[in-house]
Amino acid sequence: MSKHNVSRRQFLNYTLTGVGGFMAAGMLMPMVRFAIDPVLSADKGGDYIATKQKVSELTAEPTRVDFSFKQVDGWYESEETNTAWVYKMDDGKIIALSPICKHLGCTVAWNTDKANPNQFFCPCHYGRYTKDGVNVKGTPPISPLDVYETKEKDGILYLGRLKPHGEA
Amino acid sequence: MRWTAKELDMYSQSKEYVDTVLIPLVPLSFGGEMKQTGSMNEFLTILSLEIEKQMKGRILLMPSLQYLHNEKDKVERLKHWANEAKENNFKHVFFLTSDYEWKKDERELENHLIWIPAIPLENLEIDQARGMIGQQVLQILDIFTYNWKNEKK
Repeated sequence: MSKHNVSRRQFLNYTLTGVGGFMAAGMLMPMVRFAIDPVLSADKGGDYIATKQKVSELTAEPTRVDFSFKQVDGWYESEETNTAWVYKMDDGKIIALSPICKHLGCTVAWNTDKANPNQFFCPCHYGRYTKDGVNVKGTPPISPLDVYETKEKDGILYLGRLKPHGEA
Repeated sequence: MRWTAKELDMYSQSKEYVDTVLIPLVPLSFGGEMKQTGSMNEFLTILSLEIEKQMKGRILLMPSLQYLHNEKDKVERLKHWANEAKENNFKHVFFLTSDYEWKKDERELENHLIWIPAIPLENLEIDQARGMIGQQVLQILDIFTYNWKNEKK
């Protein structure tokens, strides 16, 4: 037969190393995958949601922008509609404020209190916020309105995650 | 706030701010009006949840009061609910319904009945339905703010 004979001992060694190697790989692979998982999933783009608002139509006056998305609420998935108050700053920066009052969660609106024009107003307990979303001292809310991350794509406004004031 | 454990926790922490209860009144029927009551149930559920969303911090939305369309003592039952709420420091108790029957008892309910005809949502595009509900919510919110303002004086 061939010149290079494989002894019984060598044959067993090769097989055991081979099988052992597969087993080790089978155990290690998921561990490695778990370990580097955050790196792999971090670049998903932050879940921006498209609105129907054209960026070019935004002005310095806060506008109501509705957007809807699918939300899993406990047991069932529903289509949720949210609102943001959006305006453009003088330098072109877009500000999108959450309408949820930081007091007890009512929905605030722009410029609806005749006694205090050009402020966000909460009808429940008469909380007020200035245009940049900062709560007016002496009214019930104790912190400024949350802010959406914004992005422009193909002239359309996209809204991202909700951040505390001053972080988006 | 809704009638869920989590939101009722929130309520007990901020009781002094929540002074209004909203009770949807939903009729049930197995007869010819069965579908109509279904339509009302659907409409009132969505409408009341939208109102709650806008005024979360001041309104406690109760689970709806359901009754058979020919039920005799429904007014008594409702009064019982309302009294219980008033005894527990709710200054305003409002009823929301699409059932015309309640109009007859309006006086007994001390003008706290909000009657609004049901929109047959099943025939509408979702965007259209949203728009219409949105408008009705705004009108109803006016009723609340009006009542709250007048209480202040």
